[in-house]
Amino acid sequence: MGNKLGRIRKRQVVDEKYTRPQGLYQHKDVDHKKLRKLILDSKLAPCYPGEDDFICDLEECPICFLYYPSLNRSRCCMKGICTECFLQMKTPNSARPTQCPFCKTFNYAVEYRGVKTKEEKGLEQIEEQRVIDAKIRMRRQEIQDEEERMLRRQEMSSSSRIINPNDIGCISEMGEEIVSTQQLGGSAITHPSGSTQNRDDEFDLENIMLMEAIWLSFQEDDKRHHRSYGDATQLAKYADELRISAAMAPQTESTSTSSPSGGLACRVARQHVGVESSTNSTMVESGGYDDWSTLDNGGGRSTESYPLHNEVAMESFEEQMMVAMAVSLSEARARTSSPEIEWH
Amino acid sequence: MTGSSASSRKVLSKIATNRLQKELVEWQVNPPSGFLHKVTDNLQRWVIEVYGAQGTIYAGEKYQLQVDFPEHYPMEAPQVIFLHPAPLHPHIYSNGHICLDILYDSWSPAMTVSSICISILSMLSSSTVKERPEDNDRYVKNCRNGRSPKETRWWFHDDKV
Repeated sequence: MGNKLGRIRKRQVVDEKYTRPQGLYQHKDVDHKKLRKLILDSKLAPCYPGEDDFICDLEECPICFLYYPSLNRSRCCMKGICTECFLQMKTPNSARPTQCPFCKTFNYAVEYRGVKTKEEKGLEQIEEQRVIDAKIRMRRQEIQDEEERMLRRQEMSSSSRIINPNDIGCISEMGEEIVSTQQLGGSAITHPSGSTQNRDDEFDLENIMLMEAIWLSFQEDDKRHHRSYGDATQLAKYADELRISAAMAPQTESTSTSSPSGGLACRVARQHVGVESSTNSTMVESGGYDDWSTLDNGGGRSTESYPLHNEVAMESFEEQMMVAMAVSLSEARARTSSPEIEWH
Repeated sequence: MTGSSASSRKVLSKIATNRLQKELVEWQVNPPSGFLHKVTDNLQRWVIEVYGAQGTIYAGEKYQLQVDFPEHYPMEAPQVIFLHPAPLHPHIYSNGHICLDILYDSWSPAMTVSSICISILSMLSSSTVKERPEDNDRYVKNCRNGRSPKETRWWFHDDKV
């Protein structure tokens, strides 16, 4: 989206009392006349009193943490700021040009575009989703790194089938252990010892039992959450939606692209493709997760979308196995942080 | 040494109180990993435990940060120091003062306690040697009258650690 959204600048109808500061700060050096004019000319957001709590459609000012119907945006990085906080940023007496509090660009300036359009909100959601996806990928990478470390410890041969193509270089340098860079306090996920041995010869019993246990625990979880959901018809509807959208998934879509159409279908589609393309990797590289889980900070809860895997016909037992392993690992991690589940 | 500068003694403004309450709630819901906020009823002074990250020279060690908020937080930076004993680090003085630009000149009201903590942990994690700044003794002597690190004219020169 470009900067010009074709909105015609006109004097907005603003109650007189919102053309002056509401007393959030003890403003010094504020030219009230100029401020009033800027607000009436729609060049600055009106000084509505900030709300303490989130009410639908309000935006939070990242400085005062209060909620407003609309915010000003930095020219440099488009971050929002309420008019009263903005007035605090400008120091008229200082010789130094003001820096943007968000991106540190000099000559900080804002513009006002009124209440956000649906389009802008949509774009923002996509952006947020990307951030969450990136976090999920990071987490997965951490888990994968940890897993590989364990693997290398357990077997000093390059025979394992679940090696990511990228890692072949590392593996060939035998005996050199690569320490994962994660662990800023995160707990390490470890395999039950021996679970990855003998993969070359057969799928050992332990693995199969492990998988079974995982699926069982999924079903348990399912039951529990179905109950808490309380509405069977709605559940069925969701299940249908998933099936349909998985079926519609374009097979070539890459996980990193995100189309503005957004929405559940798109996410599920990406999820679907992600699972299909995971033949060579322990990681279920999936771009999208459910809308419900985006309500929190992303991170460990990602795995809650696992029932999707049920919808996807998998090529081989081995592939299923790999997906299960990946899921179980992230599941284990997610459990430590979040007992509740948003999917279903 | 423990933040007796006049600004941090003044009672918090309404906006500062409101923001800190929200930061505290956010911290409780989503604490930055490697940190523990020690619960007190004093909103104006937070004591935070810092755990050295795995794989760094501070792994397994625990330190305490003391964060004092000025009346006009977040327009004004909080005062952040390590309580005794401060970690041995080329940018941390033995009196707990930390030479880190975001705590002084580069502070922005868009930062939060949580983001400060992450910066400090990152600073610790990237250090390869456990040693005091070269001018430690001189600086600490100069601060004996209980000067706040915010009154120091810091010279930020090293962007590696």
